[in-house]
Amino acid sequence: MTQITSSSEQITSGEIRAHLRERSAATLRRRIFVSKVMTVFCWAAIVLAAIPLVALLLRLFVKGIPVLLKSGFFTQLPQQPTLFDQTNTGGVSNAIIGTIAMIVYATLASVPIGIIVGIYTAESDSKFASVIRVIASTMVGAPSILMGLFAFGVIVVQLKLGFSILAGSFALSVLMLPVLISSTEIAVRNVPTTLREAGLALGAKPSTTSLRIVLPAATTGIVTGAILAISRAVGETAPILLVIGGAYAITWKPNDPGSALSVSMYQDVSSSYDSLRDQAWGIGLLLVLVIFVLSFAARIWAARKQKVQR
Amino acid sequence: MNENMVNMMNALEDQAIVDPRSGPIAMRLNNVSVAFNGRMAVRDVTFDVPANNVTALIGPSGSGKTTLLRSLNRLHDLTKGAKVTGEILLGDEDIYSGGIAPTVLRSRIGMVFQRPNPFPTMSLYDNVVSGLRFNGVKKKSILDAAAEESLRAAALWDEIKDRLKAHGSTLSGGQQQRLCIARALAVEPEVLLMDEPTSALDPIATQKIEELISQLKARVTIVIVTHNMQQAARVSDLTAFLLMGEDRAGEQIEVAPTLKLFSQPDDPRTMDYIQGRFG
Repeated sequence: MTQITSSSEQITSGEIRAHLRERSAATLRRRIFVSKVMTVFCWAAIVLAAIPLVALLLRLFVKGIPVLLKSGFFTQLPQQPTLFDQTNTGGVSNAIIGTIAMIVYATLASVPIGIIVGIYTAESDSKFASVIRVIASTMVGAPSILMGLFAFGVIVVQLKLGFSILAGSFALSVLMLPVLISSTEIAVRNVPTTLREAGLALGAKPSTTSLRIVLPAATTGIVTGAILAISRAVGETAPILLVIGGAYAITWKPNDPGSALSVSMYQDVSSSYDSLRDQAWGIGLLLVLVIFVLSFAARIWAARKQKVQR
Repeated sequence: MNENMVNMMNALEDQAIVDPRSGPIAMRLNNVSVAFNGRMAVRDVTFDVPANNVTALIGPSGSGKTTLLRSLNRLHDLTKGAKVTGEILLGDEDIYSGGIAPTVLRSRIGMVFQRPNPFPTMSLYDNVVSGLRFNGVKKKSILDAAAEESLRAAALWDEIKDRLKAHGSTLSGGQQQRLCIARALAVEPEVLLMDEPTSALDPIATQKIEELISQLKARVTIVIVTHNMQQAARVSDLTAFLLMGEDRAGEQIEVAPTLKLFSQPDDPRTMDYIQGRFG
């Protein structure tokens, strides 16, 4: 203490202020310099990140648009090009129908279950609920081909249902389930506690509170999560590749072998014909557009709902 | 100050201060303690809540005001590890004895929260009648009557009667809070708990709520938590002052008619608090 007092006697407050001003000016100069350097780095990083994305999209559109515009792409069945007619690829109508069928069946199976389980894990504090929670969050990151293997083992081999649209839908619904459980749980948990308490304070039973206050307030999040789960399933290849059968016919029937856009794309890419490899770009573009529309719809819907509620 | 004046003031104070607890009692708290996972949050609170009066719970942050208030309608029931001991009587029923279902209890003891919390997916009308609907009321004539009556009681009817189908989000913060009061009143509670109901509101909205509180006590017994001492002095008839004890559990320091507690408290700690020496 005494030392501080003695030294402070020699330095006047004017000197302190002058020193402070000088230092703060220097500090400011240094900060401005650092800020400029960091800005340059940020831009460099953004450009680096954008190059592959923009390049991919550009190529996708350049190569894909002519395929989409080709007559018969949406309406014809696939044709095998021959040496004499190498551009005769037909269309992908069977794959479009197959994808739609599989997505519809997988959605019908997984969305209700996923939402119910998600609500349960959000509302329950039990050990069982936390086990499900851990399983769901692990399975979200599991390699998707695992679902294909599982569907192959269960549907094709054990239940002897054959390579089929059903087996593909099964694989996709197993893929979608953990995503749905997690997104529903988050949506329900995001409902403010005060709403639940307000319900209880009015004499509502806890179950009534969950069903009539918490769930409606979580609907936006739940539906958004479901749409995103669907859009993820649309583009998946690995899980269905193993079990779908790859039929060249249009069919909605669950027990028929079917085709899917992602699987057709995979097959086209491995073809030796340029025309088929080009067609793969078209299918890729179609898938990206569908996913874009789905996630865009989810955003718009959520934003509009939110506006009504705020 | 001359002797005359002192005598006059004393006489005035003696006259003015009537203990509201000399009238009917709505709730009795006997040695109420609240613990979370074995850790005391409120210890040994004992006082009577006079019927058709406003009882204020005041005290600094951490003194357990809100925790105590939430034990009065068993809102701690759903908090894991929360334990309420002691006796809380509504009339002469112990609310924790099991003789009265929590859902029934909570429709007899309503609550208004710190932040207005109208149900976001419901219209104004549906908000007000939600408590009735949760409890099984379906008749439209009864719902309509209850909606109008409680909105009038909450001084909101004239402002929103033309847009009952609108959403709660279209109201200002003060209107939302009055909507929540109407929602609580619609189930005809005997007691209304208010947890810092104006802390999220501007001064004008606060004033409206305070006026409303004074009007409502003819109809319902009110227990209000506030950390605004002026508010307690303005709206309440009885004040309970809580303070955090050495083991961080809230303790009751003094319960007295509001006029007395703010003019001649018995405990020096009360004096320190109302004079702003801590808190």
